[in-house]
Amino acid sequence: MSVSSSKKLTYILRAELGKLVTLPLIWHTLIGAFILNLVLAAAFTSAGLQEASGMQSILNIGLASMGYLQAGFIILGILATCSEYTGGQIRTTLTTIPWRGFQLCTKLLALVMITVPAAFIIAASGVLYTFIMMRDTTVVIQIDTMLRTLLGATGYLTLTTLLSTAIGALLRRTTPALVILLGYYFIVSPLWRDYLPGIRNYFPDTAGYYMFMPTSSDEINVLSPLQGTGISMLWTMFFFTVAIVFYRRRDA
Amino acid sequence: MRAFNAELSKLFSLPGIWLAFLIGAFAPAVIAALDSIVEKEEIIAGVSTRLSEVGYIGLGLGVQGVIILGVLAVSSEYLTESSETGGGQQITTSLTVVPSRLHFLLAKAGAVAVISILLSIVAIITTVSATNLILGQYVPAFEASRLIGAVYYWTFTALIAFGMTVITKNGIIPLAVLIINSSVVSFSVLLSKVTKLAFYLPDRAGLDMFMLMSDRFHTPFRGGLIMTVWVAVFFIVAIIIFHRRDVAV
Repeated sequence: MSVSSSKKLTYILRAELGKLVTLPLIWHTLIGAFILNLVLAAAFTSAGLQEASGMQSILNIGLASMGYLQAGFIILGILATCSEYTGGQIRTTLTTIPWRGFQLCTKLLALVMITVPAAFIIAASGVLYTFIMMRDTTVVIQIDTMLRTLLGATGYLTLTTLLSTAIGALLRRTTPALVILLGYYFIVSPLWRDYLPGIRNYFPDTAGYYMFMPTSSDEINVLSPLQGTGISMLWTMFFFTVAIVFYRRRDA
Repeated sequence: MRAFNAELSKLFSLPGIWLAFLIGAFAPAVIAALDSIVEKEEIIAGVSTRLSEVGYIGLGLGVQGVIILGVLAVSSEYLTESSETGGGQQITTSLTVVPSRLHFLLAKAGAVAVISILLSIVAIITTVSATNLILGQYVPAFEASRLIGAVYYWTFTALIAFGMTVITKNGIIPLAVLIINSSVVSFSVLLSKVTKLAFYLPDRAGLDMFMLMSDRFHTPFRGGLIMTVWVAVFFIVAIIIFHRRDVAV
């Protein structure tokens, strides 16, 4: 049966979305991330209420949980690719879609379609909670600043997810991928911040921070949000290209 | 005893275990070495304030290795094989051979504990030698009581990881929670700003056994005691759940 290529894309995209949506672990991860983020936002808010607050601090406090929230999205990204390899699902996938690069690209596209709304809702819920709790103590919030920050946060979470997907596709096993990514984001990177202050801005997570962290006066912001986005995108593209190259050459 | 040997052999034949050994043995040394380099500059500049902490930060953060060990020991049993090879789980075989679930769990916990003790001793050796190598004559004396505290902390963290994974059956959740929690930006540090009760969480109490932090809350002995209670609670819950749960699900 021959189908036109646009039809083909729709079919494959629908199939990849179907596979992602029917993974129970993905829903557990997203729901868990949502609840945990609210709990953390509550903790940060109650810690922040004791200090003097202003416009910046609503966004700062509301997004302070981002550091933890990214763990949920790392898991999401890894699950999306590694679930294919537990059991023989990958062989069924490649039998029905015998174009490997194309298949991985559509999987990524499907993942973006899930991640973007989820990331936006979760990040916004944290900021909203902080906003409601701190309403009495703060000045009027500017909607456009808030929206821009939230979009930056969404972009950061999406890029992190895609990066994890690429690493997951490279390693093909959930545990090593999880250990390496969590180890990097939570252990290595904070240490780098202390020991190698010169080059830290060019790593995917610190560059990504500039996408949503409001500029503060006491810290020298080396990168603008746009530069930060560019650098994280480059990292994601790089890992993704490597993943596709390996995926095409490797025995499934 | 034979069950214990079997568990040891199962653990050593897991491919992921080598990642745990690698991280457990060398990550503390690398972190301690980086910390020592910074510290050395401070000593020479005469502004050093935390000389007695050098090296221990590596042992505090390098606990990842045994977390992976504890999680993998259980999650590998529950891993569903590919449908092309029958879709079985190792746990069914394990419980056929060792029908007493309590014995099975104790043998496995024993194997995990023994390996973590050995791994933490290796980590201490590499960390101390890395610190000696870099700091030279400035190196502080490593007290035996604090090093024993570090061994205790590593072993009990591995057992907590083990108990948690028996409860969840899936490695992802305990791995994520414990790795984040043993990092610089842990939940417990955050919670301890909100409530004093957070100092009774296992990692905060456990770190007090060998880290002399400015916000130290427990004496080393009490820290060890609190961690023991946590391990006991996790194990009792894990044993009860494991005893009542159907293996096939």
